[in-house]
Amino acid sequence: MFARLAFAICLLSSVALAGASHAADLNVTVRDKAGKPVRDVVVTVDVAGAGPARPGGTYQVVQQQMKFDPFILVVPVGAEVSFPNKDVVRHHVYSFSPTKAFELKLYGREQAPRTVKFDKAGVVALGCNIHDSMVSFIKVVATPFAGKTDANGQVRLRGLPAGAATVKVWHPYQRAVANEIARPVTLGVQEVALAVGVDMRPAPDRDRAY
Amino acid sequence: MIVKTPADLTALALGWMRFASLRTRLTVLYAGLFGAAMILVSLAVYGAISSNAERAVRDQLTVTAAVFDQVWDLRSGRLQDGAGLLSRDFGFRSAVASRDDETIGSALDNLKRRLNVDIAFMLDTNGAVIGDNAGQIQDAAQRMAVNLDEQIASGVLTLGQASYQAIAAPILSPTLNGWVVFARRLDQGEMRALESLSAIPIQATVLHKEPKGWLSSSGPLKVTRSTDITSVIDTSLDEQAKARATPQIKIKDGYGQSVAMVKSLRTLDGGAPAVLLLRYPLSMAMEAYRPLLSAVLITGLLGIALVVLGSWALARSVTRPLLALGEAVRRLQAGERSHATVDTRDEIGILAQGFNEMADEIAEREARILRQAMHDSETGLLNRPAYVDIIDKLPTQTDAGQLVAVSIGIDRFEHVRGAIGYGPATALVGEVGRRAAALAVDGAVARLATSMLGITMRAASEAEAQARLHHALNALDAPCDINGGMVDVHLTIGLAMMGVHADDVSLLIERGGIALGQARAARQKIAAFDATTYGDPVANLSLMSEMALAMEDGSLDLFYQPKLDLRSRKVDACEALARWRHPVRGMLPPDLFIPMAEETGHIRALTDWVLARAIADQAKMRAAGFDLAVSINVSGRLLGDMEFAERALEIAATAEGPLCFEITETAVIDNPRNALEVIDRFAAAGIAVSIDDYGSGLSSLAYLKQIKADELKIDKAFVLSLDSSAKDALLVRSTIDLAHSLGLKVTAEGVETEAGLQLLTAMGCDVAQGYLIARPAPLNVLLTFLAQEQTEDRRYG
Repeated sequence: MFARLAFAICLLSSVALAGASHAADLNVTVRDKAGKPVRDVVVTVDVAGAGPARPGGTYQVVQQQMKFDPFILVVPVGAEVSFPNKDVVRHHVYSFSPTKAFELKLYGREQAPRTVKFDKAGVVALGCNIHDSMVSFIKVVATPFAGKTDANGQVRLRGLPAGAATVKVWHPYQRAVANEIARPVTLGVQEVALAVGVDMRPAPDRDRAY
Repeated sequence: MIVKTPADLTALALGWMRFASLRTRLTVLYAGLFGAAMILVSLAVYGAISSNAERAVRDQLTVTAAVFDQVWDLRSGRLQDGAGLLSRDFGFRSAVASRDDETIGSALDNLKRRLNVDIAFMLDTNGAVIGDNAGQIQDAAQRMAVNLDEQIASGVLTLGQASYQAIAAPILSPTLNGWVVFARRLDQGEMRALESLSAIPIQATVLHKEPKGWLSSSGPLKVTRSTDITSVIDTSLDEQAKARATPQIKIKDGYGQSVAMVKSLRTLDGGAPAVLLLRYPLSMAMEAYRPLLSAVLITGLLGIALVVLGSWALARSVTRPLLALGEAVRRLQAGERSHATVDTRDEIGILAQGFNEMADEIAEREARILRQAMHDSETGLLNRPAYVDIIDKLPTQTDAGQLVAVSIGIDRFEHVRGAIGYGPATALVGEVGRRAAALAVDGAVARLATSMLGITMRAASEAEAQARLHHALNALDAPCDINGGMVDVHLTIGLAMMGVHADDVSLLIERGGIALGQARAARQKIAAFDATTYGDPVANLSLMSEMALAMEDGSLDLFYQPKLDLRSRKVDACEALARWRHPVRGMLPPDLFIPMAEETGHIRALTDWVLARAIADQAKMRAAGFDLAVSINVSGRLLGDMEFAERALEIAATAEGPLCFEITETAVIDNPRNALEVIDRFAAAGIAVSIDDYGSGLSSLAYLKQIKADELKIDKAFVLSLDSSAKDALLVRSTIDLAHSLGLKVTAEGVETEAGLQLLTAMGCDVAQGYLIARPAPLNVLLTFLAQEQTEDRRYG
């Protein structure tokens, strides 16, 4: 929550800094085929004239109660993410993702949190080598207009410049190439509401994987 | 009858009624019944065993199927362990993440050897294969990439014709990066290994579906043509889908009938479906019971053989005496002496004993009957048929000459019998027979009639035969000693010679008999058959049947002979006499056809006709102006016939003039009571009665007294010699006197001379009849005669 809030502030400040042209908000609602709102869907907007995303604040993925928290973390390119272990057991956090492959060998809560800097846009799948059921994703984005849906499947992207833009919708369990779909959108001065339907597959049951 | 095949048996069963012998029938019946019982027992045993075996098979198959599942899971678990281990290995995942194909390949190879799997490869999420990259894998890999997910999966993988037990373990790092796939070939060896785990001898086969049907790794399953394995499996799978159970089915394969189960196998790639076919051949299940079944079968066959032998022997023991009896009956039937040889003491033995006693009695009786049939019971001489038989068998002509049938008649036998009694008379016949035997060929003497014996001689000629008989006659004729008393014998002999008098034996014997009659008639001691005297009896007999016709067509006619009243010298009566002018034989004498009519009974019709005709003619005479009394001869045979008397009286009542019935005194003597009654009735009816032929036959003064006669006719034998014999004249005179004194009128017959007529007139005779007056003549001639007499006033004497 804290990380997200920080990121939002960061985004807002960047918009404020860009300042020049006055812009509208994009309100995206994501629903699955059954019409239920889908949370943790990452929405990014590629739009001409947008500056690069600037890392701001702290980003962290906590290991707590044998889970990664948050499940989905959206960070700008160049962000440093810390991985504090709050469980009594030790974890071995790793990523084989091409975006950022790393390995944080077994460490406990008594040890200082390890940090990893994500300097390339893309998806990083996180796992724990000890606990197969632990999984989470870090979406490293290059655009300053990015967010993830709340429990209502909604995300509001503010201060977008007018003009043609591409809205991208990503979720690790979305049935799509690279788990992502794109929607073209024309932004003006008015707030744009965009409803996106996604085809979701159930989260894999990792306990039954082997 | 030998039964070789079931078809024969069927034919036998169908033709049951046609079994010729009791033996076959009994044997087939017993053997058939026992055989049927054995077959039923065998079927029941077999049915019980096979249903038992089948149930056991089904139970075991179900159990085995469950075991199979476990074994299958166990094996797949081992693969799974290996694949899972590799897919989770951090280093391996690292290699996968970095797409270090070399490392991946070597890791797979390493594990492949260690786990002894046939195929091991890595499949990425795009369907690309790393490692074991057999050509056939590519298609399956594409399907797997779509079909698989983050979960470990096991199933059958069909590559080409080969089926594999395969496992796909996801590589999660932590997102899905691909799968580690291990596959073990489900080849024969593998299947045998699986089978060996089963408690029962099961046949396990993995089949996969291809467009042309279900195939095993080694090609089409070997099943019989009648079982289409594809449809069997499809049907079973359909049923499983519906019933959610695994039904057991029956198929026919190389092992015969099998109980089978089809278990659908998950496929790893979602490709061609695969099944595991578990089969348990019933023959193998039945193997354990084979000794028992063999024992039942052998026992049954031995039993049938024993029953066949036993019932054959029993039937034989029953039928052998029956056959012996049958043979004895056949012999008896054929007229042979017959005895059935049956040793048994049972019912058949008693029957045979009874039969033998019966056969003996029949033989004895037959002999007795034969003797009775051939011999005269009183004298013991041969009877006629036996005699004819014997003579018939002799050659007609030998060196000794022709056969001569000799009939020896004992004269006046009835008188002799009346004198000495029946028994001695018969003994006399027997004695004569014994004497005659010396003359006879083969000593054959027959009693041909009560007092007639027959023998047969051989002689070269009739004369020789007569001469020999004459010579023998002295010995034959000698008085016989009957019961100590001497009895005179007088014999007459007739003979007939073969080839001369007859051509066959029975006719010869008959003619010998006739010759005897002819000899007696001619008052000769010995005479040969005389064909001329004999005439033709057969023709005579037919004459009688012609008589009725003759009465109608006029060939039988009445002639009338006038009777002259010697006092008035007038013809005032006539006698009606029958005359028969036969169209072929000419004029027949009354002496021929009257006695014949008397003997055959035709005399009644003849007399009726004569009476009616005479009455009619009398009416004609009357019409012509002549009132004549008409005399009619009534045979002595008819005098006792009341029926005739009634009818004669009826007819006579129609007469217009006086009638007279001429009868002989002999007729009255024969049957006096009836005859006298009838004569009384005639007299009462006004019919005159005349005693005809007086003096020629037997004349009884006693009866003469009783007969209510009007007239007495003196026989012409006396009248003809009246003028030449003083004795006859004396007899006639005294007869006339006798008659007159009894109140009878006297008529003399046979008056042929004037002298005779004058004598008779002088003697006081009343009426004369004879050629001197007139011959018998037809009615018209009589009328002419009467008319002439009236006009000429004829005088006699």
